[in-house]
Amino acid sequence: MANKAGGIEVEGTVLECLRNATFKVELANGHQVLAHISGKIRKNYIKILPYDRVLVELSPYDLGRGRILFRYRN
Amino acid sequence: MQTAHFTSGEPAVVITRITPGLWHALADDRVVGRGEASTRPDGRTFLSIDAWHRSVFDQLADTMLAELEGPLHTIVDEVDAELTAGWERAGFTTRRREWEYVVPTGGAGRVLPPPGVTIVPLGEASEGPLRALDRVVRAEVEATLGWQEMPAEVLARPAWDTVVDPALYAAAAEAGEYVGLVRVVQVTRLPRIGLIAVRADRQRRGIARALLAQVLGALHDAGIPTASAEVNEANPAATALFEGIGARRASSNLELVRHGE
Repeated sequence: MANKAGGIEVEGTVLECLRNATFKVELANGHQVLAHISGKIRKNYIKILPYDRVLVELSPYDLGRGRILFRYRN
Repeated sequence: MQTAHFTSGEPAVVITRITPGLWHALADDRVVGRGEASTRPDGRTFLSIDAWHRSVFDQLADTMLAELEGPLHTIVDEVDAELTAGWERAGFTTRRREWEYVVPTGGAGRVLPPPGVTIVPLGEASEGPLRALDRVVRAEVEATLGWQEMPAEVLARPAWDTVVDPALYAAAAEAGEYVGLVRVVQVTRLPRIGLIAVRADRQRRGIARALLAQVLGALHDAGIPTASAEVNEANPAATALFEGIGARRASSNLELVRHGE
């Protein structure tokens, strides 16, 4: 789904925490993207771990990149 | 709403302050960047910016800094060089480093508390004495370091609003009162040691280590192999405590600050 005048938001599962503060996330449609965490998540010290279900906003400029907006309670 | 137009960057954006704490950068009516400002209970303002382009980050930062009074703070993962560089371009400098530790729950073993002290296991602490100790610890923080040196878990609150959920705590008792506490928050699969504190007049006797060993042992018995904790680099006692039980540094966060003009 598309958020209000913004990028595309999709659910996914974190596959791997990479070294440069990015995460490999598999989306519900099977595609994989590289995602950073949002500033709000960082400010609130929310940890992202492999197997976490997350909401990702895809970059409108590169659909292979995204930003983790939310971590669901598993 | 306040609006600023930027035509020099790529893409050209219009930045609008949507609410007192939220800015949007729009390019062709699409949100391509967001800035947020929030005030912590200790009164400090923390910023965050999410943008797909460096120029949009800079324009959001310029707009927010022009509209907010300093000092202003932010948190970055130390390995996120691009984000750190963005804040440095905006005039932010490193104020402190906080290590994120992975704590093995099986590493502490059984640690006896000092004579006269008993450990009240995780989840069995009594609410009244726990609240009394919480008030003492908070008063000590205010009289010494101040809240700005505390991690996010330790927040200044009104005097009446102290311990939130006693089930999350273990405590050290001596002579009929609590003198130390530790709080463990179960976050997804990685529990977090959110707070460990011992009254100033009872420190350096091994109480914190005994408290930590108790809760780690309880987690280990529950089949949880690791926990996490954040430690201020400038706190040698906390660093020694965690590294002494085998905790290893996994990452680090930097708190950046920009002082007012």
